[in-house]
Amino acid sequence: MTVVLGIETSCDETAAAVVDENFHVRSSIIESSIDQHRAFGGVVPELAGRAHVTTLGPVVARALDEAGLDPHHPAIDAVAVTSGPGLIGSLLVGLSAAKAYALAWGVPFVGVNHLEGHLFAPLLERSDLEWPLMTLLVSGGHSMLVLQSGPGTHQVLGETIDDAAGEAYDKVARWLGLGYPGGPVIDALAQQGDASALTLPVSMTGSDFNLSFSGLKTAVVRASARHADVALADVAASFQAAVAEQLLRKLRRALEVHEVKGVALAGGVAANSALRAGVSALADEFSLACHLPTLAMCTDNAAMIAAAGLYRFQAHGASSLELSAEPNWQLAHV
Amino acid sequence: MIVLAIETATTACGVGLRTASGVEVVTVLDTERRHTEVLSAGIAQMLTQAALGPRDVTRVVVDRGPGLFTGLRVGIATASAFAQALGCELVEVTSLELLAHGAYDVGVRGRLVAAVDGRRGELFVQTFNLDEQVESVNEPVVARPRDVVIEWATSGAPVTFTGDGVARYVEDFAAVPQGALITQSVPSLHAALALGATRTPSPVVTPLYLREADAIANFTTRERNP
Ligand SMILES: [Zn+2]
Repeated sequence: MTVVLGIETSCDETAAAVVDENFHVRSSIIESSIDQHRAFGGVVPELAGRAHVTTLGPVVARALDEAGLDPHHPAIDAVAVTSGPGLIGSLLVGLSAAKAYALAWGVPFVGVNHLEGHLFAPLLERSDLEWPLMTLLVSGGHSMLVLQSGPGTHQVLGETIDDAAGEAYDKVARWLGLGYPGGPVIDALAQQGDASALTLPVSMTGSDFNLSFSGLKTAVVRASARHADVALADVAASFQAAVAEQLLRKLRRALEVHEVKGVALAGGVAANSALRAGVSALADEFSLACHLPTLAMCTDNAAMIAAAGLYRFQAHGASSLELSAEPNWQLAHV
Repeated sequence: MIVLAIETATTACGVGLRTASGVEVVTVLDTERRHTEVLSAGIAQMLTQAALGPRDVTRVVVDRGPGLFTGLRVGIATASAFAQALGCELVEVTSLELLAHGAYDVGVRGRLVAAVDGRRGELFVQTFNLDEQVESVNEPVVARPRDVVIEWATSGAPVTFTGDGVARYVEDFAAVPQGALITQSVPSLHAALALGATRTPSPVVTPLYLREADAIANFTTRERNP
């Protein structure tokens, strides 16, 4: 049975996982340096890079141990690692270490696209996955609609033309003085607020599948400055509803145009309650299987990287040890 | 003992190998900051040429800085992972002591100032006394080239300057009347192999940054949100 060690260091999570060819997760360890970044209102690349270099070794050791593997002679068939997109200084730590593990153990090494990793996440939680699948991939760095005809076969239908959805959450949270990261805190506040309190513009009404959150972020800042009497919870609810409205409208249109068997939500923003409820309702309406990731699978993790690496390795073989990090590697170019 | 040396503290990336019989091979793989691309492939090639496998390596010695932050992390991540994977010993050395030993090995004696380019108009500097052996006189510090030059020019004491930091500000350093310059663009891999074979191993290698991440964090955050 093919077994892969996955490594993920593209942002602030340092992660390692062992996954087998049945997409069974034998171990998955995640450490985050998020606490170090809070004061700066965003992930600071130098801090993230420093954290990875001290954390990665112990994280890999734990992943091997929990999978019951010998630390010096692990029964694995490949080492998979995120080689892009992400923060260059962070990617380099995982990439360098992954090459060294592979070289030392005498096993192949596979560079994986982080976004493709997110697309493999449902395979780790569902054995009954049917294709094609429409996936809404939303995170702090990316927002896109992807049509998957099978594992590793994907078409980006549209993506954000400016900010990512998670980035808009962070910026609005910072402006409202709610700290960083913005997603969980705005989501929690929004539950107690009135989404109709602020009238926000409806953006991206065209028939394409592209997204945009920059204008919405600005509109929230303006509207809440103009209506200082509106409660914070109402601002949060109005913003959250507008984000979900745009994403769900595009998803609905994609489901009207493309015939699929299921709909999936992926990425950090997949933890958002409004989005989960909305996607679930859409899936019901279109009578489709709905794949909402567990909260653990929304976060960046190495199990999804190992899964994507497993597929890449089996379908396309190993990568060269000379592979470089690609901080701007687009999913469309995988 | 078979020692593998990894050097990534400057824009150059180098590897060295010392076999059980004491034969040393050193190679500078690249000088253009392509550490990630060349390092593991270079190690693989060097081992193959020596008719050795990764599991034959008994010790990995790595330069922990000071130097180029990303380069250090590539070297340390590679060395640490390699040693962890094999369960072999890990030895840390600093870029500045490698420069000092490199100078010593070519016959330099007396006071030596080793300087690695720290970017942002600064150097990572340490003073050594090369006599019977190589001894550091102080701890590595961050300093401006002009300040180092003025300090030595006014002291009047004979001194030798070396390192890529000196090469970058060569006109300033050449102005020190009693100063001599010796060229070493890369911290010595032969010195790394020699120290690697004799020094006590450490369980983990910590990068020697000499700059607080918080200061850099504030710097980058300011840059992003002017
Ligand atoms: Zn992600």
